[in-house]
Amino acid sequence: MFLLPLPETHAHLMVEGAGEVANGALHPLMTPAHLLVILSLGLLLGQRPPLDLKTPFRIFAPVSAAALLWTLSGRAGEVGQPLLIGIALITAVLVTLEMKIPAWLRGSLCGAAAVAIGLDSAVGGGSTVSTLKTLAGTWLSLNAAVFYLAVCASNAEDRKWARVGIRVLGSWIIAIALMVLAFSLRKSS
Amino acid sequence: MKTCMKRFPVILLALVFSLPTTASAHEASGGVGGLVSGFSHPLGGLDHIVAMVAVGLWGAILGGRAMWMLPVVFPVVMALGGTLGVVGVQLPGVEMGIALSGVVLGGMVALAARPPLWIAAGLVGIFAIFHGHAHGTELPDAADPLTYAIGFVIATGLLHLGGIAFGLLTRWPWGGTLIRVGGATIALVGLGFLTKSL
Repeated sequence: MFLLPLPETHAHLMVEGAGEVANGALHPLMTPAHLLVILSLGLLLGQRPPLDLKTPFRIFAPVSAAALLWTLSGRAGEVGQPLLIGIALITAVLVTLEMKIPAWLRGSLCGAAAVAIGLDSAVGGGSTVSTLKTLAGTWLSLNAAVFYLAVCASNAEDRKWARVGIRVLGSWIIAIALMVLAFSLRKSS
Repeated sequence: MKTCMKRFPVILLALVFSLPTTASAHEASGGVGGLVSGFSHPLGGLDHIVAMVAVGLWGAILGGRAMWMLPVVFPVVMALGGTLGVVGVQLPGVEMGIALSGVVLGGMVALAARPPLWIAAGLVGIFAIFHGHAHGTELPDAADPLTYAIGFVIATGLLHLGGIAFGLLTRWPWGGTLIRVGGATIALVGLGFLTKSL
C-alpha cells in the first residue's frame, strides 16, 4: 500500500527573506505529511511513563541526519506521501490504543520516520554550503519538534483529560491517514 | 517555558491550519479539495451535523470512558467508510442510514439511554460507516487529499467537541432537560431526513 504511486514529494518550499537554516527549519513544520509523522511519533515517545528519549534519539537523530545527507547524493529517489502517511498511521494506532510497545518497535518506527522524512526533504538547486545549511535547519527542527512533543505528552501523565486528548489526537491522525491512503488507492487505480 | 511546551500541540495544529498550499489554490477555483474544502464539507449538511453533535452529546451523557471513546470510534470508522466510498464499493441505503443515525442517536440522547459501552460504540460505528461512505463518494477528486483530510477530520472532531460541551450541561439541574430536548430535536431532524429518503 505504501508503494502506491502518488507523486507528492516535499522538496523545500523556500520562504523569501528567511535564511537557509530558517528555511530548512520551517520545512518539516510546513509540510503536512511530515507534521503528521512528527506529531504521532512525538506523542508515542512521550505517552507512556517513564519518559525515555535517549534510546529513541540514538536512532532518530543519526538516521535523520544520514537520510538528509543522502539527499545530497541525488540518488535518494522520491519518497511517496503514502509511505509517510503509513508511518503516521501505524504510530497513531499505537498512540490511540495507548499500548506499551517493545523497544525494538519504537526504534523501528523512529528509524522509519527519520528515513522517510529525511529522504523527502531534498533541497533543489543552490550551492553545497547553502544546501547543507538548509538541511541542518531541517535536522534541528525535526529533532526538536519530536523531542518537544514527547516532553509535552509526558506531562499528560497525571492529567486524565490530557491523556484522553492525546488518544483523540491519535484517532484523528488515523482517520486522516486512512482517507489519504484511500485517495491514493483511487488515484493509482 | 513550561506553558509554551504545553501549548506546542496547539501551535502545531494552528500551523496546519495556516498552511499555504497549492491545494488551496485549486480549491478556490475547483470547489473541492484542500483544507478549506475539507473543513467545510462536514458542515455542509444538516443531517451530518446533527449526527456528529449527537455522538458527542451522547458520549457526555454516558460519561466516563464513553465521553472520549465514542468521538474516537466515529472518525476512525467514518474514515473506513470513506475509504469504501472513495474506492467505489457500493453500500445500500446510505442516505437512509445517515437519516436513521439522527433518529437513533438523537433518540438515545432524548431518552438518556445508557446501554453498555460496547453497544453504544457499535451503534456509533455502524452509523459512522454511512456518513463516511457518503463523504467518500461525494469527494472523489480532492485536489490535495492530505490537507482535505486534515480539514475534514478537524471539523468532524470539533462537532463532536461541540456535542460534548453541550452535554456537560448535565452538571446543572436544568441542563439535563435541555440536553434531552436537544436530543429530541436531533431525532426530529433525522426523522425529517428519513421521511425524505423513503
